[in-house]
Amino acid sequence: MTFSLRDIDVTFDDLPVLKNLTMEMDEHQLICILGPSGAGKTTLLNLMSGSLQPDRGQIQGFEGKSISYLFQETRLLRWKTVEGNIDFVLKDHLSKMERVEIINRYIEMVGLSEFRRYYPDQLSGGMKQRVAIARAFAFPSDILLMDEPFKGLDLQLKSALMQAFIDVWLTDKRSVFFITHDLDEAVLLGEKIYVFTPSPGRVKGVITNSIPHKERNLNSDSLRSIEDRLIELITAP
Amino acid sequence: MRNSTIRNSLLSAASILALLLVWKLLAVYWNQELIMPSPETTLVTMWQVIQADGFWQSVGYTLGRGLLGFVISCAVGVLAGFAAGFSPPVMWLLQPWVTVIRTIPVMSVIILAIIWFRTDIVPIFVTFLMIFPIIYSNVLSGIKNIDNRLLEMAHIYRVRPRRIMTELYFPAILPYLMAGASNAMGITWKVIIAAEILSQPRFAIGTNLMVAKIDLETARVFAWTAVAIAISFVLEYGLNTLENRLKKWG
Repeated sequence: MTFSLRDIDVTFDDLPVLKNLTMEMDEHQLICILGPSGAGKTTLLNLMSGSLQPDRGQIQGFEGKSISYLFQETRLLRWKTVEGNIDFVLKDHLSKMERVEIINRYIEMVGLSEFRRYYPDQLSGGMKQRVAIARAFAFPSDILLMDEPFKGLDLQLKSALMQAFIDVWLTDKRSVFFITHDLDEAVLLGEKIYVFTPSPGRVKGVITNSIPHKERNLNSDSLRSIEDRLIELITAP
Repeated sequence: MRNSTIRNSLLSAASILALLLVWKLLAVYWNQELIMPSPETTLVTMWQVIQADGFWQSVGYTLGRGLLGFVISCAVGVLAGFAAGFSPPVMWLLQPWVTVIRTIPVMSVIILAIIWFRTDIVPIFVTFLMIFPIIYSNVLSGIKNIDNRLLEMAHIYRVRPRRIMTELYFPAILPYLMAGASNAMGITWKVIIAAEILSQPRFAIGTNLMVAKIDLETARVFAWTAVAIAISFVLEYGLNTLENRLKKWG
């Protein structure tokens, strides 16, 4: 097992957010974390990114790795353009030529080619979200942390971006940890789906989805049955 | 949008006209040039003042002192503000100094400076003491108000500290710095001229004002005042232009 979290406790102001959390995960997988709000899902990503230390327990496998983090908020720099915001995170790691190529590719992927020189204040909420997605994907990382990345986008855009994401992921197979509330997102993207209990959060169960991404279809029986098992797990006492 | 811009300009023009009218009425009412010179007398006097020997030197020296004092205060204010913003001990060390400087009466500073320094230096020193606390506290609050989520983003994406400084901190603080600078610029003029009036450097707007007052030439006092206001407008405009340029920083 490459990533491991053992007996993790995190408490904020006497409120236990994560309790006795233990997870063992492989590299190069698309791991989905599904749970109600208040289950400490964002806290879990912050532990992985190293911006938070647990009150108790051990975390292994994340140190020294480069990490892309798609936050719940867009966290764009208001004084930089769409291109500039992506370049901001690439500049110290890649040559000028590589950057131009990568920036173009990901701006195109999120459908913002015409807005590359716009500032965040000139964009809609969904467009800013897409810039943040492009920035996270463009950054050459070993690990990609995503906190409800497709929240608030319309259905059409969401499925287009999910498709684009799968394509990107299939080419570089980064280790992805992906938070969502949405069952469809979970079964379409996840290879391992961790279901969390409500506050304080810990793992209620894991469901493996080994159907190749290219063959996944929400109307297929196989995906339906996985969704049914998920619902069963979520509603189980 | 366009219409409202035109309307606003018209309103401003009307307001300036009203100001001139009140001035004229007061001049007519007193009917004594010694107390209240009329706008036209002031204009004529201003022309004479501009033509007179030493006008440009006086303006140049005052301008130079003002800008020098302003630039020094900004530089020191920014450095001290950054130091205090990043290190609480430095902030607590500086706090009493800044409070004392902020509360000293301008006149006390001027009088002491006249005792201590050459007349040329006095206005610069006084400006520094007046402006430094403004710039310092604005930069400090800019740093304190920086969005930690952006910093966290930059750290996770492993952006180098030097670039975090120039491309994140600096642009984020810029609005605070510019607000402080524009506030400070207005104060600089008032302070510089007050200090010049008392310290009497050879070439200075303040010295000319004082001489005009001693000569009982009120029209000349008005004329020099108008010159000072005009310069202040020009500089304010320059500062705004600079601010718009800097907004595209990074």
